[in-house]
Amino acid sequence: MKKIYGSLVFLALVVYILAAGCVENGGDIDGEMVLVVGDMWRASSINPGDGHDGGTFITEKAIVIETLVGANGSFSLMPNLAESWKQISATVWEFQLRKGVTFHNGDEMTAADVKTSLDNTMHLSPSTAKLMSYDRAEVAGKYTLRIHTKELNPLVPGVLHHPATAIVSSKSYDADGSFVRPIGTGPMQVESFNEQIGELVVVKYANWWGGDPGLDRMILRGYESPSTRAMMIESGGVDLTADPPYSEIDRLGALSDIHVERHNTPRIYKLDVNLAHETMANLHVRKAVSYAIDRTGIVDNVLYGVGAPAGGVFLPNMIWSNKNLTPYPYDPALAKRYLARAGWIDTDDDGYVDMDGKKLHVKIYTYTERPGLSPMLEAISANLKAIGIEAEGVSLEYNSMNAAMADDSWDLYLSAMELAMVPDPEFVLKSWYTTTGLENKPGYSNTDVDRLIAEGHFISDLDKRYDRFREIEAIVYDDLPTINVAYYGVAIVMKDIVTGYQFDPTAHDYRIDPFVTISARISFFGACGG
Amino acid sequence: MHYYLIKRIAHLILTLLIASVFTFIVVNAAPGEPAEVLARHLYTGLEEAAPPELIAKVADRYDLSKPLLVQYSDWVGGLFTGNMGYSILFKKPVSWLLMLHLPPTILLTTVSMVFATIAGIIFGVYSALHQNKISDHLIRAATIFFASMPGFWVAVMLILVFSLWLGIMPVAGYGWPLFIILPATALGLHAMVSIVRIMRTSMLETMEKPFVMFAKVKGLPMKKVIFSHACKNAFLPVLTVIGMSFGALLAGSVVIETIFSWPGIGEMLMKAISARDLVLIESTIMVIVFLFLIVNFVIDLLYHIVDPRIIYE
Repeated sequence: MKKIYGSLVFLALVVYILAAGCVENGGDIDGEMVLVVGDMWRASSINPGDGHDGGTFITEKAIVIETLVGANGSFSLMPNLAESWKQISATVWEFQLRKGVTFHNGDEMTAADVKTSLDNTMHLSPSTAKLMSYDRAEVAGKYTLRIHTKELNPLVPGVLHHPATAIVSSKSYDADGSFVRPIGTGPMQVESFNEQIGELVVVKYANWWGGDPGLDRMILRGYESPSTRAMMIESGGVDLTADPPYSEIDRLGALSDIHVERHNTPRIYKLDVNLAHETMANLHVRKAVSYAIDRTGIVDNVLYGVGAPAGGVFLPNMIWSNKNLTPYPYDPALAKRYLARAGWIDTDDDGYVDMDGKKLHVKIYTYTERPGLSPMLEAISANLKAIGIEAEGVSLEYNSMNAAMADDSWDLYLSAMELAMVPDPEFVLKSWYTTTGLENKPGYSNTDVDRLIAEGHFISDLDKRYDRFREIEAIVYDDLPTINVAYYGVAIVMKDIVTGYQFDPTAHDYRIDPFVTISARISFFGACGG
Repeated sequence: MHYYLIKRIAHLILTLLIASVFTFIVVNAAPGEPAEVLARHLYTGLEEAAPPELIAKVADRYDLSKPLLVQYSDWVGGLFTGNMGYSILFKKPVSWLLMLHLPPTILLTTVSMVFATIAGIIFGVYSALHQNKISDHLIRAATIFFASMPGFWVAVMLILVFSLWLGIMPVAGYGWPLFIILPATALGLHAMVSIVRIMRTSMLETMEKPFVMFAKVKGLPMKKVIFSHACKNAFLPVLTVIGMSFGALLAGSVVIETIFSWPGIGEMLMKAISARDLVLIESTIMVIVFLFLIVNFVIDLLYHIVDPRIIYE
């Protein structure tokens, strides 16, 4: 009898355990299209004004709020909440807003709302205000907004594509000015946010100006470990995720119910060269390093195909990129000839080139926060060794690396830098290659480049402007103050029940396509996603 | 006993004060100017440089340019008044963040500890009572194997077997009770292994003690000899291991929480360290130190309960 009672208690316990904690899962649930997204970061806030990534999450992943300016696949600016814009004087831009756009609370979006939102953004984010040279916004009509800048700034429309500038209703704040929830104009609106577990649930906004979204509901959860994301999608716990471990991508793609898409994103792996060091200041040495790097091998074997070999600074699909700049070919023999031209020859037959009895030794730094960098450093070191350069690689946490590099002992610095924070070539080229550029780590100084960039700032005709910056891109491609290795990539992993997903190459990691659809799915434990 | 309690509480406060000074110094000595690191994390991104005027603005807005001594006294003074400070990174009061993320960590470490203790004692006693039998060899081999396995590897293997192959557990997430089984097992395994080995050794020694021999000779049933006499006395060293393991569990929870997407303080602390959110780091570490001290204080008191011959004066 005792055994029977024991069995019953055990059975009840099992049923309780299995039933407990299961939450809503993706797929077609009671006729509702529900997508469960396993994001790379756990959201700690849904306030777009909270820090660098807050705007990106709520704009690109949750698609709750939208920017005034959009961009297409070639990074050309496109109408979004603003239908058109023009520069009406050196320091004033006029934006005509789209009529009939409503916030999720039903209020119509007007120029006054946009002004309030932008004023708030500029207050919260001094870096955005500086990028835009923001002075003030002026309501010039119900749907007309003028933005006054402190100085001539051709980047204004481009900055307004950045998620940090997305428009939120003033009703997103309570009477005390405290943020409650983002009330935007996007295809989805916030239903709930669990701050403890970082789970955001958004539902379709039926009056979205852009059409009828394909999803009724979306659940976003963060899984910060790439391995966990891989296992979550494999188990059916999520329907869409990004960036599992690179080494897992092929295996996941081979599963019968999962497909993987690889795309380039606007970020580049590059080596900054320390031009203050005499050895690296020699262009022949820089050419040797560039020809020594097996970019295709790195993309195939280090990044597992997530990315592409880099030629010029900009992605080839960027409208302003110089299409003539192809990746330096992998040519160790030519690299050795360049070293010889610089006077570096292996005189003692020890496998390393030398000059005046000293080996050519380079110290390469990188940081550990991006998974591709440390193995890429290993591969580059091996490539350099193959042409007789003794490479010393150092991988550290970013802040520790910065401190370690302060003694200027570094020769090369491997990083992954953003290319289209503002969809315009000036932002990157000015910052990286002008003598006083904020990101000019190499200490590069070329009067022609300085002049061309300064002049380019005043060119408003886009064709002429892009031609000017293509010219600059070609100069730095030849001068090699930075050696471009590969364009960054992202792997989007989806269940086969997710269909119609269109990747947005201008997004920071990826953007959820509002027209994506999802069909029925069955997974019990996947449903217990937290 | 009362005198002992007062003395221990005074020690606890002194230890907390020393820990606060040490934490403050170590956190501030870490590479990276806090205002610069925060400016990047808040506004420009990890790799993108922050312009000097932005760094100055961040330093000014969050009082980061005050002398260190003033920063320390502000922080400690706040702790005394119940104000744990404000997280610049998360833009929330530290007390709010801890209220959100500390309970999951305490839940996970407690369940791990309970699992480690129960399983450790069972296997330890069983192994001791079957000394040099096959089962004893197997248990000892298993303890060596699991002691050698890093926690994150064990975690991934558990997910692989129980979630992907067998499909009986969720991969990751937060909830009770299903979600805690794998993370608690992964986290508690090392502590369990230590307890098995200590319990086995202690049990073997105790079984040779005169009072056990006497109990056997007296004709008491073996079960009573083992559970009423031997186990209780052999348990004392295990108590010490439990106290020491608690700190290791808190430290290990950082990795386990990330793998299982468990919303504890581990992940929050890692982000705070990366962004040099000093007040959040310092206050969180102080809470961890406090928990560790309290657990060990309780364990010291338990010694007396387990063995009344131990008297604190």
